[in-house]
Amino acid sequence: MKTSLRSMVRSPMVLVTSVVLTWFIVTFLIAPNVGLLATTFFPNGEFTPRSVDKLLSSDRAMKSLGNSFILAIVLAVTVNIVGIFIVLVTQYFDIRGSRILWLGYATTLIYGGIVLVAGYKFIYGQNGFITNLLLNYFPGMNAEWFTGFLAVVFVMTFASTSYHMLFLTSALNKVDFQTIEAAKSMGASTLTVLWRIVLPVLRPILFAITILVFLGGLTALTAPQVLGGPNFQTVTPLILTFSGSTTSRDIAALLALILGVATMILLAVMSRVERGGTYFSVSKVSATMQKQKITNPVANAVVHVVAYVLFVVYTLPILLIVVFSFTDSASIQTATLSWDRFTLDNYITVFTTQSAFEPFIVSVLYSAAAAVVVVGGLLFVARILQKYKNAATTVAEYLLHIPWILPSTMIALGLILTFDRPNALIGGQVLTGTVWVLLVAYIIIKIPFTLRMLKAAFYSVSDSVEDAARILGAKSLYTFRRVLLPIVLPTAAAITALNFNSLLDDYDTAVFLYSPLYEPLGIVIKNSTDGDNISDAMVLTLVYTVLLMIIMGLSMYAVYGRSVTSRRKKRPRALPEVPDQPATRVGREPQPDDARVTVR
Amino acid sequence: MGKWARIRAQLLAQPSTVLVRGREGKYDVRRTISVTATLAAALLLAGCGGGSTETSNGESAEGATLVVYTNSNSDGKGEWIEAEAAEAGFSLEIVGAGGADLTNRVIAEAGNPVADVVFGLNNMYFEQIKAEGILEPYTPAWSSEVDPGLGDGEAFWPLVQQGIVLAYNSDAVPEREAPSDWTDLWEDERFHDRYESVNSLEGATEQIVMAGILTRYQDESGDLGISDEGWAQVQGYFENGSPAVEGEDLFARMASGTVDMGQMTISGLPAREAEYGIAAGVVEPSVGIPYAVEQVAMVKGTSKQEETQRFIDWFGSAEVQGGFAEEFSTLPANEGALELADPAVVEQYESLPPQDLDWEFIRDNISPWVEKIELEYMP
Repeated sequence: MKTSLRSMVRSPMVLVTSVVLTWFIVTFLIAPNVGLLATTFFPNGEFTPRSVDKLLSSDRAMKSLGNSFILAIVLAVTVNIVGIFIVLVTQYFDIRGSRILWLGYATTLIYGGIVLVAGYKFIYGQNGFITNLLLNYFPGMNAEWFTGFLAVVFVMTFASTSYHMLFLTSALNKVDFQTIEAAKSMGASTLTVLWRIVLPVLRPILFAITILVFLGGLTALTAPQVLGGPNFQTVTPLILTFSGSTTSRDIAALLALILGVATMILLAVMSRVERGGTYFSVSKVSATMQKQKITNPVANAVVHVVAYVLFVVYTLPILLIVVFSFTDSASIQTATLSWDRFTLDNYITVFTTQSAFEPFIVSVLYSAAAAVVVVGGLLFVARILQKYKNAATTVAEYLLHIPWILPSTMIALGLILTFDRPNALIGGQVLTGTVWVLLVAYIIIKIPFTLRMLKAAFYSVSDSVEDAARILGAKSLYTFRRVLLPIVLPTAAAITALNFNSLLDDYDTAVFLYSPLYEPLGIVIKNSTDGDNISDAMVLTLVYTVLLMIIMGLSMYAVYGRSVTSRRKKRPRALPEVPDQPATRVGREPQPDDARVTVR
Repeated sequence: MGKWARIRAQLLAQPSTVLVRGREGKYDVRRTISVTATLAAALLLAGCGGGSTETSNGESAEGATLVVYTNSNSDGKGEWIEAEAAEAGFSLEIVGAGGADLTNRVIAEAGNPVADVVFGLNNMYFEQIKAEGILEPYTPAWSSEVDPGLGDGEAFWPLVQQGIVLAYNSDAVPEREAPSDWTDLWEDERFHDRYESVNSLEGATEQIVMAGILTRYQDESGDLGISDEGWAQVQGYFENGSPAVEGEDLFARMASGTVDMGQMTISGLPAREAEYGIAAGVVEPSVGIPYAVEQVAMVKGTSKQEETQRFIDWFGSAEVQGGFAEEFSTLPANEGALELADPAVVEQYESLPPQDLDWEFIRDNISPWVEKIELEYMP
């Protein structure tokens, strides 16, 4: 349904949000980035095809670009398979020990990057456990078997299921159980119910997740670097190298734009599909989901075995990271354990240096502030973008995705160059060199992800809930606050936690923007692990990772932990907060749009 | 005993080399609390009026806090300098980052400089910064104690000389069979796939290794000032090397037998040898080895000129540099500091003569070189 601009400005909430949003987009998304791109591609006022020529004539660039796309497409498939499977076995099917399984699968929420890859290398790499085991049986095999395309896909598939764990889980719990019951009583098999009833409801969230996974594959950095070997390198290292240098920045920008355009095309396709359907079940009588038994004994056994094999795959790396953080670097490099090599020195080193502890606080504050601001602000924006569809909101939505197109290094540089003098857009202030500029950058970087997930969350809310509130006389702000917000709040909290966690150890942005008085954690980690003299770099990385895992674990627990342990009690709370109960249960009038209702 | 073996023996005999990392264990709780409180307040207080002043105002008076940009603060160096400076009456805020990142940050901040002083970057980076007109010329009190040829004799001045060598595992490669120069690595089949080639050109060391090879083939008519033969060398280097692995140290790879040699800074050797139990040899090419000279300079537009100058005069002095050299086993540029250092060590360092490098030529070309190598030669 298209809505005119005029109907938008009638609501004061929409009006205020629109004004603030327009200011923000112009000031922080368009001015710095477009300015930087203009000077990059049009150095003397006219376009120079230099970067295009350079790229086309570089075998390495073209090959790694191709690899990035292959990886993105393959991951979009494999991650969805594994992700949907682990969500189903922990939430939908009746599997023994599903709580434990859930904890194992959720480990990807609290660690990533180089350490995650290192964890997998401990197991499958040249000196790894599995490799040594295999060598006993197949003495002739290549000890470096775990390298190249398949190794990268393997590691990244298991590392990228976090979104499924969070968002697919919460979407699954919104599936109407009575529909499932009805289908079953009509003789539908377990598979049919899954295929025809459960998965269709999950489509908007699966779209959003697929875009994120695709983007993650395109911009993959550490896994290909460590495991790709000579035949499977991706394009992000090139972009990072070139984006800092003044003379090569155009190549970085061009490469990033190619990736960005691909993401935008996918986004456009998904948005079209998203608009085509409604994704809530028609029945509004809420019934709690009950776990489904798998009736076929063979299938049941197979699912159990696969679930526990995956559990081992997920948990082994993290186990080894914790264990090896108590050893010395020689043990780590050779992946061997012996009792006399265990030590607490690594932790003592980290905790007794002044410069090592403060950054934790600085990073926690920055990440928390950015995570809360971006989710708080975009709650309003996502709501407007979902409800009002016209040219203005479409343009705004695409503009909000600018941070996905550019590498964070270039976003940081754009901010420095734009706000190093008094700027009228921000009331004549200077931002460069202040504590604010890093916060602004963090907020910018997290906008596209937050917007995608929040929009998907709003799509899963039935219009009839809102209609009911309006018929009963609730103003738009009241409806938003008391009706819609409680429904999307769990998703919003999860996004906040994810944003918080991902910003904690940021380096690429902070290195250009951090204020000298407040050194963030990513800088400290990089400094302590990049030194010329130090050779226990990996040890310190592991120690920092373990400490980060604790903080991230706590933040996930704060928003998620309790809902996991008491989900059954919590669910019904979402709807009864609507002022007048019976009204919300009134069946929705059929509307022309419903011809395309996906779920029935 | 090879030259390097003797240097190593000397370094190991010193009581406080890198093997025992000096760290300031003193913990100031009040500082942590104040940092927390001020940042929390700054971030929580909405409105942007108050946030813009932390770093840019300040008086030129003695004791004013100086913002110091450096790429040389790892391994406790930052803490050491802060503590020593505090005793001498300076208050420092150190911003640490890698050489390339730091250079880009300084250049990007030209419109509103945050730093008062920059140190640790080598000639190559300082030449780039200077070309942007960001440095304020200043002649330190100790200028007569250093070889002016190491810096530019105007805006940036030398502190520490860092030699970059081709190191090899002497258990795997006996000294008489070792390569005599970088070019042997790809010209002699015995070394193919036995040396580590760099996997990124973001670091200063890696860039200087490349510059040290390329500048031997300077040719005005060649691509980017280098003859075809020169580019063939780079091609050979990458085609026959075993690319470095992210997160795996060169010496770890030596220990596991994957490679036998690779590039390393001299001061980085002793700690690694001890850690991995490898006795390393270093190749001594007839053209000498590239020395990256870490410099110090004042940033143009600082409001604390006098204090900055006072700091530079203090930091580059024989006494401070001598202490720094002793603590971190570096080779100081200050001749007075050299006298304070162990003469035997200095003599051994000097047995590895510096390669003659045209820094202005390198400055003008290093970025295009890196770009070309990344696009055309790296695997």
